Amino acid sequence: MLEILLKSILIGAMGGFAIGAGAARMFHAPDTIGMGAFRTLGYINTSKGDGVSHATVGSGFALSSAATSLGTGALTQDVFHRVIPNLAVSLLALFYRRNVEDLLGNPAKMGIASACVGMIFLSIVNTVSALIPTELALVAAGILAPASALMISYVMPLLFIWAACDAGDTVGFTAILLAGIMQLITGNALPGAVLGILLGYTIQENGFKNNTSRILITIVVTIILLISYFRGYFESILSILGLG
Amino acid sequence: MKKFEELLLKQWMFIILLGLASASVIGATQLFLQHNVGLLNEVFIGEMLKMGRETGDYSSASSFASGFLLARLLEAPLVGILDIGGSLMTGIGVGIPALLLLASFGFIFENFYLAMLLGFVIGCLIGLGIIILKKVMPDDLPVGATAVMMGAGNKVGEAFGPLVILYSISYSTPAGIGAIIGSLLFYKTKKPIVGGAILGALIMCSIFLLFNLPIHPPAKPN
Repeated sequence: MLEILLKSILIGAMGGFAIGAGAARMFHAPDTIGMGAFRTLGYINTSKGDGVSHATVGSGFALSSAATSLGTGALTQDVFHRVIPNLAVSLLALFYRRNVEDLLGNPAKMGIASACVGMIFLSIVNTVSALIPTELALVAAGILAPASALMISYVMPLLFIWAACDAGDTVGFTAILLAGIMQLITGNALPGAVLGILLGYTIQENGFKNNTSRILITIVVTIILLISYFRGYFESILSILGLG
Repeated sequence: MKKFEELLLKQWMFIILLGLASASVIGATQLFLQHNVGLLNEVFIGEMLKMGRETGDYSSASSFASGFLLARLLEAPLVGILDIGGSLMTGIGVGIPALLLLASFGFIFENFYLAMLLGFVIGCLIGLGIIILKKVMPDDLPVGATAVMMGAGNKVGEAFGPLVILYSISYSTPAGIGAIIGSLLFYKTKKPIVGGAILGALIMCSIFLLFNLPIHPPAKPN
């Protein structure tokens, strides 16, 4: 238990500091590369430095991510996206004044406040979820393992291929092609669909006779050949043809 | 304080910051692999890692996460924001550990500090790569691709909630009823319903366990 507590403090402090400073750097993008996401920026901007509303947003997501971690151990991506940045702003508001809109782009203050939030939040949530009795952890695993398996093997590839087909002929074509090939050689179509969207867009915007397209095609073909070699797919083709 | 602020805004500080953040997420993955708590990522990604730990085959986790990492790395120099969801939390936090475990470098994840150190180094290298990419970036990489992936990625998150409700019901009647109530409450208060579904199922099952009632057998339709 002490081990989990100490590790959580270290993880929370380091990650919190980096994420807080990265979020503050987002306000200086695109010249300075920030860390976060457009939705993180959006969530910070909806509260505009007002301490109370940042605290509300942050603690709401803190509760739901703590709830998710009970029995599953997974805290969701919201911790870095929403919980830490928003609670850090409300911590700053507590120390300075009610509205700290001008401090949002200050990486030093945001970093330190985020490190404090990360440390406290992770150490509480991780130690509490380690106390969950085994029977309940078994229930969580019994529900979530099959749901995740279905999610990974069918729902996610489906959504990505679907989105690709809606995005245009070329994108749809490459996504279906690469998703199919990846399903053949790895048993999961999703990486293929992701690569297909990337490749399809590049070809759609630049055409085939373009360096970026050529480089990307080379990367994709190399990845496919390497994976199929290491997973022994060539041998299984030979054996299907009766040559193995 | 003013000097510290200016230092943190320097372009190359991005390398250090990404290093720190990577050390932290890989540390969190180590904590998860060892103690089953603290993964800084979604539930289904955690289950992917657990499946890998049980079967020794981390290929689905690694291929899934590295695809995201590649896409986000190409995007970051273009838009000026590194998306920490795909790149840091999934790509570096899950993809790199899964790749290492697959390549039988798993011993790194037996030691927390070694794992964090490795995370720091990998983060710095990737940060350096992004800074270099920003300097030499051709202007013709597709921006639309990431928009499509982001849209699909968000849909994926929404799909997991309903799936958990359905699987809770097929797990057992108490879990199912708990999941329905929990997800409704979360839906009404505008929170992601997956949290409510899991919490509801767990609370209902713990009440049943407390009174020594069976939480099994599963409900059989027809």
